[in-house]
Amino acid sequence: MSMKFNDIISTANSNLMRNKGRTLLTVLAIFIGSFTIILNVAINTGVNSFIDKQVESVGGEGYLDVAPAAMISQMEAMGSSEPQEYLPEENSSAVQSISEETIKKTEEIPGVTSVDPFRMISAEYITSSNTDKRFKLDIQGMGTDKIHLDIAEGRSPSADNPESEIALLPNFATALGFSSDADAIGKTITLAIKNRATGKLSNIEATVVGIQAPSVISMGRTWISQHLHEEVFKMMNVGVPAEIANLTMALGVDFDPEIASEDEVKQALEEIDLIGLSVADEIGMVKTFFDIILIVFSIFGGIALLAASIGIINTLFMSVQERTREIGLMKAMGLSSAQVFLSFSFEAISLGFWGSALGIGVSILVGSAANSIFHGPGMFLEDFPTFNLVEFTFQNCAIIALIIMFIAFLAGTLPARRAAKQNPIDALRYE
Amino acid sequence: MTEVIGTKNLHKTYGKREKFEALRGVDLSIKKGESVAIIGKSGSGKSTLMHILALLDTPTKGLVSIYGENATKLRKNKLNHIRGDQFGFVFQQFFMNSNDSVLNNVILPLKIAGVGKRERRKRALEALKTVELIDKAKNKGNDLSGGQKQRVCIARAIVNNPDIIFADEPTGNLDSATGATIEKLLFGLNKDKGITLIVVTHDADIAKKCDRQIYISDGKVVNKPDENLTEKKVEES
Repeated sequence: MSMKFNDIISTANSNLMRNKGRTLLTVLAIFIGSFTIILNVAINTGVNSFIDKQVESVGGEGYLDVAPAAMISQMEAMGSSEPQEYLPEENSSAVQSISEETIKKTEEIPGVTSVDPFRMISAEYITSSNTDKRFKLDIQGMGTDKIHLDIAEGRSPSADNPESEIALLPNFATALGFSSDADAIGKTITLAIKNRATGKLSNIEATVVGIQAPSVISMGRTWISQHLHEEVFKMMNVGVPAEIANLTMALGVDFDPEIASEDEVKQALEEIDLIGLSVADEIGMVKTFFDIILIVFSIFGGIALLAASIGIINTLFMSVQERTREIGLMKAMGLSSAQVFLSFSFEAISLGFWGSALGIGVSILVGSAANSIFHGPGMFLEDFPTFNLVEFTFQNCAIIALIIMFIAFLAGTLPARRAAKQNPIDALRYE
Repeated sequence: MTEVIGTKNLHKTYGKREKFEALRGVDLSIKKGESVAIIGKSGSGKSTLMHILALLDTPTKGLVSIYGENATKLRKNKLNHIRGDQFGFVFQQFFMNSNDSVLNNVILPLKIAGVGKRERRKRALEALKTVELIDKAKNKGNDLSGGQKQRVCIARAIVNNPDIIFADEPTGNLDSATGATIEKLLFGLNKDKGITLIVVTHDADIAKKCDRQIYISDGKVVNKPDENLTEKKVEES
């Protein structure tokens, strides 16, 4: 003799349907909280999976961008308005460059296979024989073959071969007068380089070997072969004193991950006042920005859920009050306190279920609408067709729904306890 | 005849500081198949007595036996089972869910008892046939008259084939004609099905129709009818 489980559930649901307006409002309150949280998690999933894809495609294992640690501390000190005392040993004006001695020490770090001083280069413009138009661009040499560019057509410029090669950004091929991306491959373009001493422009030619796909890594940089990079550097610095031309601001460090782990190399770099960033670290910075926004919104979602919980408590207390007599009658007929408790708990869980189901449904609609809007012309994801800002997984939705149902259950325990404790005689006397 | 419910030296005290003695030593024995009226004016303790007999309340002192077992020693779960399986309740205020269908109201005790869907529907319809309301099965409780409501409540009380029906002022809210129908129905169940009937009332007419009358005054069983009660009844009629 005990009420069947599905009868308890159907009783709970039909009780909720007795006061549709009140139930709907409570579900709506839960919906607001669950919608915010589910959308947040979906954005987080979207950003993470995009970053993972990027890191995976870029590779970069066994490669670190290295800069003086002092540069970071100087950046940190930038916000300070307090006068800072001059200390001769800090050598403040020189901290931004890396000395020959430090480069040697870097080469001696166990596991390091090569150290390339990073030399800043720039081009004035790019043009081709097909057009009179000239376009601005940022160029960057392939310092290592450990980084893989996202290439839509052709291949990456070489890091080792003594060839002048370039991988154009999307849309550059047609702008430069080629009929298509494929048409540009193997053709020659011209870069104009300004000499740092005289300010005179001179041209250098390069072969298009590839067209880049849009990605976080390229970030508007046009990648060229390491050989071309060195040629450009020479052209820029003809007549410039060597000690100024060769001033090293940063290093590209290759290491063998089987001999020394990334952390070990970073540690060793730190000891000689350098700081190493992997590709994943650099992409991670983008992620931090998203993370902060998402944490803020998650807090809003949490507050909304808290308010919704109070709504659940209130709704169920009213329900207990209204049904005092009925509960008393059912207890007189042999319903146990535990089953009364269960029935009210199911009402709470049911409210949580519908609230989160609604939240999941609406956020999937809003999310896919947002994805297609942001991929539209002129929007910030136009160039990233593979990046879904909002990404839902069944697992995430299920976990969030379960958590919300659990919160609803917790909120429901207060009124459910009151209902369960009711004495049938008092309840039947109640007018 | 075997005893179904009996009490010995039953006491019930309410309140902690200002004590109120609702029952002050009640001894009684109710036999199987009997119809018993518990009569008393309001405040006499008759409702408290019924609650204790129906295992809805526990005595402060004394003994309640149910089918020969000491009820005060039984566990709560067992008490729930006895009430659910062997007792039927009819109240003056009906206590039916007016927004739900007549059939669902009658089904409720079977639902609580965990009877399967098809079986409980069948039995509820049988019970409605007994009270001659089978044509109202689909109606909402709101559509019924007072007498019809009480008949639904009787159907609800008998749907689990109880041994004992507790009726608390079953005709108290009804006019004399419909009251008579309800009385006939209850005494018919007592005679035909052998269901023990315990009627709590202050109405001497319905009490007279019972096999036995137990008069309660000031928390005690008294032999003679309460003077005030009979006088009052005379005045009313």
